[in-house]
Formats: sequence, C-alpha cells, structure tokens
Amino acid sequence: MTEAMIAFGKQYSEYLHDESRTVGNADSISFPRCEDDVRALLKDLSRRGTPITVQGGRTGLAAAAVPFGGHIMNMSRMNSVTGCRIDENSRFCFSLQPGVTLSEFRKMLEKQNFCTEGWDEASLEAYRAFLCAPKQFFTPDPTETSATIGGMVACNASGARSFLYGATRRHISGIRMLLADSRGIVLKRGQVFSRGRKLSIPIETGGVLSVSLPDYKMPDTKNASGYFVSDDMDALDLLIGSDGTLGVITQIDAALLPMPKIIWGVSCFFASENDAVAFVMQVRHTIPGLAALEFFDGDALKLLRTQKEQNLAFSKLLDIPKEAESCIFTELHCDDYEIAENRLFDLGEVLKQNGGSEDNTWVARTEADRVQMQFLRHAIPESANMLIDRRKQTCPVVRKLGTDMSVPDALLPEVMRLYRRDLSENRLQSAIWGHIGNNHLHVNILPRDENEFYRGKALYARWAAQISKMGGAVSAEHGVGKLKANLLTLMYGQRSVMQMEELKLCFDSKKLLGIGNIFAAQGGDGI
Amino acid sequence: MNIIVCIKQVPSSNEVRLDPVTKTIIRDGSQSVINPFDAFALEEAVRLKERLGGTVSVLSMGIPAAEALLRDAMSRGADRALLLSDRAFAGADTLATSYALSVGVRKLGGFRLIFCGKMAIDGDTAQIGPELAEHLGIPHVTNVYEIVEASESEVLCCRNMDGLRQLICVSTPAVLTIAKDINQPRMPSITGVRSAMTAPLEVMDTVAAGVERAWCGLDGSPTQVLSVEVPKRSSECIFLSGDMHEQVSALKKLIREEL
Repeated sequence: MTEAMIAFGKQYSEYLHDESRTVGNADSISFPRCEDDVRALLKDLSRRGTPITVQGGRTGLAAAAVPFGGHIMNMSRMNSVTGCRIDENSRFCFSLQPGVTLSEFRKMLEKQNFCTEGWDEASLEAYRAFLCAPKQFFTPDPTETSATIGGMVACNASGARSFLYGATRRHISGIRMLLADSRGIVLKRGQVFSRGRKLSIPIETGGVLSVSLPDYKMPDTKNASGYFVSDDMDALDLLIGSDGTLGVITQIDAALLPMPKIIWGVSCFFASENDAVAFVMQVRHTIPGLAALEFFDGDALKLLRTQKEQNLAFSKLLDIPKEAESCIFTELHCDDYEIAENRLFDLGEVLKQNGGSEDNTWVARTEADRVQMQFLRHAIPESANMLIDRRKQTCPVVRKLGTDMSVPDALLPEVMRLYRRDLSENRLQSAIWGHIGNNHLHVNILPRDENEFYRGKALYARWAAQISKMGGAVSAEHGVGKLKANLLTLMYGQRSVMQMEELKLCFDSKKLLGIGNIFAAQGGDGI
Repeated sequence: MNIIVCIKQVPSSNEVRLDPVTKTIIRDGSQSVINPFDAFALEEAVRLKERLGGTVSVLSMGIPAAEALLRDAMSRGADRALLLSDRAFAGADTLATSYALSVGVRKLGGFRLIFCGKMAIDGDTAQIGPELAEHLGIPHVTNVYEIVEASESEVLCCRNMDGLRQLICVSTPAVLTIAKDINQPRMPSITGVRSAMTAPLEVMDTVAAGVERAWCGLDGSPTQVLSVEVPKRSSECIFLSGDMHEQVSALKKLIREEL
C-alpha cells in the first residue's frame, strides 16, 4: 500500500454513500492532491488488481460514487484552477482539477477572482482578457452545487437551464484522463474524431488506444444512459458521461458563455395538469430565450403547503395559489429589457390560450425574488426526502423511488397519461417534478410501507421498458451508475451492453474502474 | 384607506462605493434594489388596501433610474408613483431627505397613513420615518411588526421594543415604520408587470415640487460627514504545528495578542 493509501476505517464511513443513500463498502481510501499522486496510486492499485471507485462531491443519485469493495479515490482535494485559455469557439475556458465544486467555481466567476499562482504566461494573458470581458457564466446547474466538476463530467450532469444550453458535455472543451494502468490521455474538443465507429485515441506517452464503438443509436431525447456514441464523433464526448468506468479525470477545461443581462424567473400556476402540459407543448416552440421549463405537479405543491404549515424552516415560502394543481417554472434569458418584457407578455398570451391566467403567475425580476423562487423549487425535493425519512423510521426498507427518464417531444402527453394511470391503479403516493421542457420528469414514488416499496420498484422497471419502446432514455441526467445498470439492457438490449463492455475493456482491461457502474454487478438489485 | 409608501433605492451588495469628496454613497443606479425594509412596508400597504379599499402611492427621492424601482413597486400593487429627482436633492442627510419627502407627501395628498421601512440598509439611521412625521406634524410609530386593526381614523399596531411587545393605538394620519418579516412580500404577476407599464408615474424636480432649495440636498444638510470608510474585512488562516501542548501554548499566545 502506498503512503497516500489509507486503510479504511470507521472515520471514513461517510465516503461509503452518496445522495442516493445507497451504502457500499471499501478496503482503502485516498485523497490525491495532484495528477502525480493519482498516477502513483493507479500504478499500485492496477498492479494489485484492486477495484477503484472514483468519488467527487458524492451528490449523485445513481450510486456511481458508492464503492462496491476495493479502493475509494476521493478527488475532493484536487481542487485548484490551473489555467485559462480561449477555446476553438472563442469561449473562455478554465482548467479545473476535478475536485473543484460548482459553488466554488461560480463564486470565482462571480467575483472574477481566481488564484493564478503557477499559471503560465498564455493562461495569464487569457485571464486578463477574461477580466475585461462582459460577465461570464458556466451554464450547467444541477441542484446540488456541492457537486464537483469531475462528478458533473462523469455523469454529464444538467439541471434546469440545460433546456436552452444543453448538459455539461456541451460546455467541456478538454479533458486529461489517466487510464487504470496510469497511462495518460489528453483530449481537446475538435481534435480527435472517430471514423464511423472506429476511434483511435493518442496516448500521451506514445501509442494509440484503438476502440470499436458500439453500434447502437442513441435516443433522440435528453440522455445520460450508457456511453455517448455516434458516427464520426469527437473522442472527448465518449469520456464525458462515462460514469467513472473508463479512466480517472485529472483536469477539465470548462467553457463559459457570456452571462445574459436579463434573467427573469416566471412561475405559472394551472388548475389542471393537462393545461400545464398543453402550455409546455406550445410555449417551448414559440418563445425564444427560455432557459428552463420546469414542472411541479399538484402532489408536489401539496407537500409544500403542508411543510409551510408544519415546519418553521419553510414558513417563509410564499403562499401557493389555492386553486393551483400544477406549476410550470420558466426562466427568460436575454440581453435587452424591452425584448424581455415582450417575451414575458407573449408567454402570458400562450398561458391564456391554455387555460392559465396572467394573474396566477409570479415574475421574479430581482435577486430577492429569484432567491425566493429558488427556495420554493428546492423545498419540494427536500420536503419529499423529509417525508421518506420519517417513514423510514417505522419501515427501514422504504426509500424514495425517483425516475429519471425522458421521451421524445411528441410523446410528453402520452407519458404523462401513462404515469397517472399506473400510479392511480397501483394506489401509490407520488410527487412529480422535473424538466418538462425536455420531457424529462422525475416521478417520485413515496412508498408508505414495504409492500408499496416493492410495488413501486416493479412499476419503475415496467416504465423503463415502456419508455425504451417509446424511444426514450432510462436515465436523462443522473447517469446510470449502479442503480440503473439493470435498466440499460432494457433500453439498448443485451448485445449493445456487451459492446459497451468491450469498449470499457479497451480502456480498462482488468475491469478495475467503477465496478457496478453501467454494468450491473452480480447480485445488484438496481433502482 | 389611502396609503403612501416611501421607498429608497439602495446598493444591492455590500460593495458600497463612496464619493471621496462628499463622503456620501455614489448612487448611479447600477445594481440597485429596493431597500428590503421598504419591500415589507409596500406589501403591508397593499394588503391593507386589499382589505379596506383605497389606494397605495409610492414616493421616492432619487436619481432618474429610480423610476424603474417605482414601476416595480407598482407591479406589486401600488397604484401611482411620485419621484423627486433633481441634482439639488443630491447629498441630502436625513433632515433634508425627510423635508423633501414631506413636500412629496403633500403633493400626493389625501393620505391616512404613511409607511416607511424601519431603516435603510445603506445608512442604517432609522431617522427618516420619525423626521417625516415631525415635518408633517403627525404622530408616528416605529418598528411596527404587526397591524392588528386598521380603520380610516385609527390603527392598532404592535411595535417591537428590544424583545418587548408594545401595543399602540394611533390616530390617523400617522407615519408607521415597518419592521422586517411583518409579512412575506409578494412577487408581481404578469398582470402586475403589464399594468405597471402604464400606471401614472410623475417625476418632479425642485421647481415642480415647490421645495425650499436651501433646505434640500447638501445645502440643507446640517450633518457634515468628515470621514467615511468601508470596513476592511480580512481573514487569515494560521496552522499551528507541534504536539498538543505546543499547539495549545501557541493558541494561547495568539489569543493574548488579539485581545
């Protein structure tokens, strides 16, 4: 065991789980501080054939960072910003070590204050240009801002604003990665492409990694299920969303966009869920500059009302209109006040055409209002988690069963009907929220007892099969991790999953990295 | 019940910039927001209007950019607005500001209540409400955190006195300064934003307002600010090495030095 490797002890028990509340086990743990540390660790672990689970902020919901034995490589101490450049699309890019958290990165961007110690002259020159440029931002916005950039890249995280800006993949301009055998790969966007489905990736120390990409076609929806593959693809895109199974990321070039001058949040309340869905179907194609389109159903709003009444911490929530049975939250981004106002009023017109009322809206144009609106949006999942925690006290087996599936645009009304019918037939309590603009809803089954929990699990698996048939994805943003590995076969079929395994072997011939992620571990029960 | 709410534009962050000559806050409209206490005052006024009828007018003294703030207030339920804006108002202390506001109140006329925020978060004086009442010759109640009952002729309200609750019945017209958390300010609706665009907003300079210029701005301010500094915040992390006893000794030494 190298000096940096620590035998696992009780004091590290928090590193055995993530936000999915799945608990694993491990024999050792390390906290590397630089790429050389990672290389040394990998050499040792690879020689001994020890499985390795790479961790970031452990905010994931698919248990990808939960170890199933072996070694935990926790990247949280690799948290420096090592440089700045202007990328091939004239975007400012900061080179981040994987342990930089989203909140730290946002703070540095907001204050335009980076520690530039040790940066080369080219980086300093790009940084000087950044300081003079209009305010910039990194668009991916997963709810948990303690997520690390490494974790976000590993699962191709998204968030509300990915409706306009896309998921993390679109905002990554370069990656340094060490393979399980410690060899290095350096990829910049636009430099290495596959020919059809054949990919040759240069190894830093010489030689080439030749890979046959699987031949499946990815769904035409928001998707974070399995490896990203397509004809003539950029090699960088394969590494993004690979769930810690191909290598250990040691550096990420995160690309920025100019911050819109105007960011307004608008919450629209509807008396009927069908009206809310109809509104989404129309508004997403008619109003430009909508960065987010989020949904909260009547059950989610009911949870909020109860929390506000019973829990002091939620007492400052605004009163939800009494007749509201669902809510659509949108965010308008643009650079001109007058245009923003016109778009707001256009949105109001679409609202009226779909059974809504401009009176039943909240418009957040100030920071205080935006904070209030965000408080409300974050309070909903928190309320559901608190409810489940209470139920767990009497029935430890239950947990929230949250889906992460998406379908093509035209099938949004159909999938909503499917969810409603099945939840009602199975008499299951639920709360639905999520990214309705991308037809990507989190249906959260809230089991009251063990029987409901297992009924919920069965229903979850049935939905995965049905949504796969509809051309959808079993995971749209959380990644497959360990919990959805079984569902990947439903989506792509056994043959494609075997092709994915062959791909993994090209990178990690001893199958050491991310055991149980993407490929179901024996005995793993999934979901 | 016709109510006037005085609102002030304040810097949105702690990064306050000061004029090196006048020692007053530079107010160029950038990154400005409604004084948070005034937001509670506005909401309370709108709630009273919804219960008792009448109108809510908002009044501010400030640069032309404050017009956007007044429109925002109207999108949240105010019916009309008056902005006192003239270079001659610049550099005013609380006495000159409250004088100008008292003139604005008279221009608006017909009120039973005036609400101000308890204080502004930039100056922190909490003097405007009481001084305004004195200029107008009417009673005032400060730090109100609950309005129990209200009618055209009187208001029963609670004020906070360092943890003690004082129940006061005040006859109208009166000035009330409103404490934080008396309510949860609403967000505007699209309907509100639409109507605020065309709601009546008047801008008056010193001539139109008919103020005594010598009582306005720097000239009308007996407060002479000699020096103002933005507090410098610094934090330092010191690692103590050695065994436990050495670290404890080093810590004791550090604490002594700081004290």
